[in-house]
Amino acid sequence: MSAIRRAFTEDFTIYRVAELKPVLLAVIQEGEHIELDLSGVEHMDSAGCQLLIFAKREAGAAGKTLAIVAHSRAVQSLIEFYNLAAWFGDPLVVPAA
Amino acid sequence: MKTIMLVDDSATVLLSISGILTKAGFKVVTANSAEDGQKKLATGTKPDLLITDLNMPGMNGIEFIKVVRQQADLRFMPILFLTTESQQSKRAEAKAAGASGWIVKPATAETLLGTIKLVVR
Amino acid sequence: MDELKQVFLQESFEQLDALESLLLELENRPDDETTLNGIFRAAHTIKGAAGMVECAAVESFAHVVENVLDRLRNHEIAVSTQLAALMLQCTDHLRVLVANEAGVAQMEGEEIEAQGARLLMQLGEYGPGGQVFASPKAVESGVERIPSSSSAQNCWHISVRFGPEVLRQGMDPENFLRFLETLGDIRHLETLADAMPAAAEMDPELCYLGFEITLESSADKQAIEDIFAFVRDECQLAILPPNSKVADYLDLIRNLPEDSLRLGEILVRVGALTADELAEGLRAQSAPVDEPEPEARQIGEILVAQQVVQPELVVAAVAKQAQVSEKKAQDAKLIRVPADKLDHLINLVGELVIAGAATSLLAHTRRDGELIEASSLLTRLVEEIRDASLQLRTVQIGETFNRFHRLVRDACKDLGKDVQLVINGGETELDKSIVEKIGDPLMHLVRNSLDHGIEAPAVREAAGKDPQGTLFLNAFHDAGNIVIEVSDDGAGLNRNKILAKAIERGLVDAEAHLSDREVFDLIFAPGLSTAEQVTNLSGRGVGMDVVRRNLQALRGTINVDSQPGQGTRLTLRLPLTLAIIDGFLVVSGNRAYVIPLDAVVECIERPDSEHERNYFNLRGQVLPAVCLREIFSLPGERPARESVVVVQYAGQRAGIVVDRLAGELQAVIKPLGAIFRHLQGIGGSTILGSGEVALILDISALIKISGQAEQRLLARPEQRSA
Repeated sequence: MSAIRRAFTEDFTIYRVAELKPVLLAVIQEGEHIELDLSGVEHMDSAGCQLLIFAKREAGAAGKTLAIVAHSRAVQSLIEFYNLAAWFGDPLVVPAA
Repeated sequence: MKTIMLVDDSATVLLSISGILTKAGFKVVTANSAEDGQKKLATGTKPDLLITDLNMPGMNGIEFIKVVRQQADLRFMPILFLTTESQQSKRAEAKAAGASGWIVKPATAETLLGTIKLVVR
Repeated sequence: MDELKQVFLQESFEQLDALESLLLELENRPDDETTLNGIFRAAHTIKGAAGMVECAAVESFAHVVENVLDRLRNHEIAVSTQLAALMLQCTDHLRVLVANEAGVAQMEGEEIEAQGARLLMQLGEYGPGGQVFASPKAVESGVERIPSSSSAQNCWHISVRFGPEVLRQGMDPENFLRFLETLGDIRHLETLADAMPAAAEMDPELCYLGFEITLESSADKQAIEDIFAFVRDECQLAILPPNSKVADYLDLIRNLPEDSLRLGEILVRVGALTADELAEGLRAQSAPVDEPEPEARQIGEILVAQQVVQPELVVAAVAKQAQVSEKKAQDAKLIRVPADKLDHLINLVGELVIAGAATSLLAHTRRDGELIEASSLLTRLVEEIRDASLQLRTVQIGETFNRFHRLVRDACKDLGKDVQLVINGGETELDKSIVEKIGDPLMHLVRNSLDHGIEAPAVREAAGKDPQGTLFLNAFHDAGNIVIEVSDDGAGLNRNKILAKAIERGLVDAEAHLSDREVFDLIFAPGLSTAEQVTNLSGRGVGMDVVRRNLQALRGTINVDSQPGQGTRLTLRLPLTLAIIDGFLVVSGNRAYVIPLDAVVECIERPDSEHERNYFNLRGQVLPAVCLREIFSLPGERPARESVVVVQYAGQRAGIVVDRLAGELQAVIKPLGAIFRHLQGIGGSTILGSGEVALILDISALIKISGQAEQRLLARPEQRSA
């Protein structure tokens, strides 16, 4: 079981997503438990958020886990606005059966 | 502070719109032709939004938008063009050239700022 | 009071204390099973005990608390700060109730009742279907319900799938949705990314996002539609007015690209449909067409029949709380400290080092064995504190380096070049205050290299090189310095062009004979740019001089090496920290000098027979020697036996000839004033324990001096024999 933590400080914006996609895919390749530290991400837009959704999905599809372990204000604010906190977050809640 | 570049050959339009924008807290860079705008963009002005007229002497707005979209650090910048009700057909052309949206002239301050809010946070 | 009651009171207080500490723990470890079970058990014990002593007030309140805790334990509801806070209040209330039983409550009966009622109401929000008083699990239906009827009156349903090009056209869906908030209140928003294709096809610059939104607004349809005017043509937009028929929603489901079942679930979640309606609708959908349409009930009617619990509010709250607790856990591991506090600490440590040295000196002069021992322990601890506090300000350079990937990529696109960025030594650590200041100089150097250094692919191929150029960023520690190299395999510097330009600008005399190195150094002169074409990136003639000035301000140096056709290497050397170093104290002519310990290789004695030579023999290797007495023109007689400190800097070795060695020390660097800036061979000063000032030797400068001496020597061999 290999855990890997990767901190990002570049912007998660439309200008950068093309280059971030292979980086994220490579990080997913490297570990079983991927932890993303996004506390240094100053700007995030919908393209960046979409890429995070993508990364989480790809990790899940590969049977791995991907968690965002630290959020910057920008990241948190957009994830909250898009109501994705629960989807990204650790499974704290099991929906009532 | 967000920077908006305003390109129009009409001094009146430049003055009235930049007045509204400045009052709303934007930094406004104006250019009176596409060439002038292009020069400013090439020499380091990096606006958060570009508002351009379509009908200008020299390079027209559509050409200008196409050129701006070529510049790597501006390729995803929001671009709004100024248009009139009667120019509906131009909209599709401008959008195809890479524009984000349009502002119908003459616009009230409210409409103008509302429209800007759609493309600039 | 009978014994049973006394035991109950004692046990209750104990359990309440345990409950409290477990609840506090829960905030940090929200999903820890042991903690959750412990909490539940404590509440359960209190309830059971209260029942035994027929203490109804405690029993009934504890029962409600227990029910909520049971749901928590079964993960039917999530841990949140709010819930934890409420539970702590409940613990306090139970304590009051128990105290009241013992007749020692600090509150009036009415007050207690009011508090109890308030808490019960709050607890109700966490009970299943608001029915906390019923036995647990009985009411759990699994169906999430529509928001209370009052708020649903004006709830629009907006369903939007953005067109793929929207992001590239400079628009962000977020702005449109945020703009909706100017028309009303987004009650619920669900993000869909189902349209996103498999990894290989996924283009991150295309938009695959869709949203299902419940908007409470009194605006009209036109106003909502207008918001989406710019994307109207490309996006799929459906706006359902408040109180739309169930059939309209089912139509919507049919028309949207996602799986019906999944969409249905989302519509149930956002409160547009009930699960029953959905099931019915989907059945109708798969049934033959002649089957009657599902009953066109109005959502409003259904609402009346529904309970008032608002599941999506709970979901939203839970999501929010998950976020909060996740952040909390993170915060527990990291502490944010203002940089000036750290700077202050490091200044104090600097003073401590000096004071410690004074104590140690005193101990030695007094020849007090015990004091010497005590002070040496002190010195060791101070050293550790010094290292630990400097470490606090240390960061890896890798993050700074990684930022250049983008720069390289974009520049290549702009310039039509193909350049690969190779990073080495990203884990090399240095002081944060330095890292912050080298970002810009580095960027200049990288840009310069991309712009002028590395040739276009065709040019490279013509020169027989790999069409792909390589830019190296390299970092490593060397003798108390961090070395950063920016190198490329490009065309190298053009000596003639630089010289011509410098002459044109009047920077050098046309007649001057300059070495390659002296010519290359001209690139750091203000106003010199050899770029034929001023590009977007660099070549405006500002930069290199600024780069050098910035580095000098950090006590750093920059050197340039270049081979025509093979590339250019810029080497930056910076001190690891600006504050304190380990030093080696030497004495010459009764003056104290400090050599940075990292630069010291070894110390040897030098027989007086070698006094007049400016080189010496180190186990067969001839090294240049610099005599401090000579270069600083120190007075007094040379001692019979001198010592040589062998130092190393940037791969070069030299010997520094001194009168005697005085051992290691920690030196707090005090910068020299501006008037001493041109002093060669001195890098700073420090204060010794005795209060004396010692100069810190600039080893790089001394080695240069020794090298020059050596070159002169080689140039005029006849003098050697003289």
